[in-house]
Amino acid sequence: MPLPAAQDLRPTPDQHPLAGHVMTGADVVVQVLADEGCDVLFGYSGGAILPVYDAVFRYNAEHPRSNGREPMPLVVPANEQGAGFMASGYARASGKVGVAIVTSGPGATNLVTPIRDAMADSVPMVAITGQVPTSSLGSDAFQEAPVSNIMGACAKHVFLVTEPDRLEATLRTAFEIARSGRPGPVVVDIPKNVQNAQLRFDGAGRLPIPGYRQRLHAIEHARLDDDACARFFAALAQARRPLIYAGGGVIRGDAARALRAFVDAFGVPVTTTLMGLGGFDTTHPLSLHMLGMHGTAYANYAVDDCDCLLALGARFDDRVAGVPEKFAPRAKFIAQIDIDPAEIGKVKQVHWQHVGPLAAALERLTRYGKVHGAALQLDDWHAHITQLKLAHAMAYDRGSESIQPQAAIEALNRHARGRAIVSTGVGQHQMWAAQYFDFRAPRDWLTSGSMGTMGFGLPAAIGAQFARPDALVIDLDGDGSIRMNLGEMETVTTYGLPLKIVVLNNRGDGMVRQWQKLYFGHRFAATDKSLHRKDFIKAAEADGFDWARRLARKEDLEATVAEFLAQDGPAFLEIMIDPDAGVYPMVGPGASYGQMITGEFIASRASPVVTDKKTTDMF
Amino acid sequence: MKHTLSILLQNESGALVRVAGLFAARHCNIDALTVAATHDPEVSQITVVMHGDANTLEQILRQLRKLVDVLDANSLSLVGSRDEVRLAVALPA
Repeated sequence: MPLPAAQDLRPTPDQHPLAGHVMTGADVVVQVLADEGCDVLFGYSGGAILPVYDAVFRYNAEHPRSNGREPMPLVVPANEQGAGFMASGYARASGKVGVAIVTSGPGATNLVTPIRDAMADSVPMVAITGQVPTSSLGSDAFQEAPVSNIMGACAKHVFLVTEPDRLEATLRTAFEIARSGRPGPVVVDIPKNVQNAQLRFDGAGRLPIPGYRQRLHAIEHARLDDDACARFFAALAQARRPLIYAGGGVIRGDAARALRAFVDAFGVPVTTTLMGLGGFDTTHPLSLHMLGMHGTAYANYAVDDCDCLLALGARFDDRVAGVPEKFAPRAKFIAQIDIDPAEIGKVKQVHWQHVGPLAAALERLTRYGKVHGAALQLDDWHAHITQLKLAHAMAYDRGSESIQPQAAIEALNRHARGRAIVSTGVGQHQMWAAQYFDFRAPRDWLTSGSMGTMGFGLPAAIGAQFARPDALVIDLDGDGSIRMNLGEMETVTTYGLPLKIVVLNNRGDGMVRQWQKLYFGHRFAATDKSLHRKDFIKAAEADGFDWARRLARKEDLEATVAEFLAQDGPAFLEIMIDPDAGVYPMVGPGASYGQMITGEFIASRASPVVTDKKTTDMF
Repeated sequence: MKHTLSILLQNESGALVRVAGLFAARHCNIDALTVAATHDPEVSQITVVMHGDANTLEQILRQLRKLVDVLDANSLSLVGSRDEVRLAVALPA
């Protein structure tokens, strides 16, 4: 079919200005990215994605911003996993879809971990992977991998684009799927010949996905009727000790404001999950901070004491409800609101449920409750909560000669004043950060919650700094975690990012060591790194950090942290912490909240039960 | 308890793998599986026989309904009957 020349096609006002233009598949990819609002791309080049990279290069050269900057800079990591976590950090910090573009084969397989990580934490991402030409598919070609098979098991959806004329609609649909409903990562696998095909740009149009759209429409328009509201408030009115258990859905569903309004109206105290931190200001008097395996003792005791639990965008994950039947055992009424129907009652049966957008549901409930004069008598419960917070406050060995990790985080928190974006790796430092930072706003806390991917912190912080260039971004990492993606240190200085990197160095994999102490007779198989020779300061300097310091003396903590955070450019701070410091409280595997180990410094209200020291299948 | 599931699916690349993979990933065994064309060339029908308790069935159905290619997924009414496998295999195109 002959393609009409561009000048013959005058777009109507509601059409895309480029509608009817002939361009390559690669140009179509870049144009759709621009239309979808992408302002930064993360990716590593390679043979099967070259046409797209060339198209990005040309697009940036032809469309400079008024300040001369590129409209869609392409940020190059050391490893594709870095690109994936950068896109994830960008998405988590901004709420927009993060985009990673990589080549076929190893480029795509290096992206498997961040894609699975984004799926598990409901992060909207689009990953574009180059693929061998359709004529070579299935021939064991150079750098060929069955991306649709591999990613199909990890992502929210995967497209393999074999027909060039479906490319544009496929890309638009990928963005739609990534950001709608429960967000997640979508992979678009594009063979090289499709990138090179000559196509007529349409400027609109999506694939028909009737099943998905129909179900989504029903969920997004689900409205709480008067009867549901009445039953909700009837149960709440009976409650003397109601508690909100808020999860990552508050962040992903932009429901923090609606949650605050609900709490202001009815005075129900709030505890959040690891993923929900920032969904409710942790400095608010009704905040109980985090619950769960390493939650605050007062939050966990409040869960044990509550007679009514409202689960908002939370899924009774095993780090929270390790033993579902022992979770919130006195709650006579459990309500659950979630955007994902599969999460309702998946772990624990609930008495009241709503599937739909969380913000709209909370606004509706608040309105209904106010109109109907719902008034809860919670003075005793509030007094109880205040007493719990006083009696079981977070504490650690403040008198210790060595630097305690909690003290380091408290110092960082004092200087950041609860206004920093904090990303982490996975392990003890992650839990201390969750426990000791103040989280005042959504999207300021970036952590790999469900997958628990070590190495997440540094690249996620890079992505977040691109999303919010003026924000103070701190990667609070561990010595084990940062090693996993240490190559991205160079990415920080290459792009001149004012990122602040902190490594809490306890010379080993502290969280695993903590479990080995408790359950494996202090045999530290493969977790002791005291003989490792890494000099993190030299490494940082080699990667271009002008400010890189090691902090080993407790008396220097305050001044060094102040100087570190005052740097205009990238800065790296290694803090040598007490290698024996543990994360407490800890709800051991198989234990109830009442059996929580609070450690030496936090008061317990029952004699802690260390579950039997025999090998356990619980994790 | 045995259950027979009927799944209507868009004929997209990798769609069958995603359905079968979901059962594997969620630790649910497939006893029988047939794929058939329908009068609409864009749509296939999958019939799956699986066993599991009511919660497992409910969760599998809900997860199936999250797959983008899945148009609909339901448990057939003849759950547990001796005829269900024969029925599943014999479903017309």
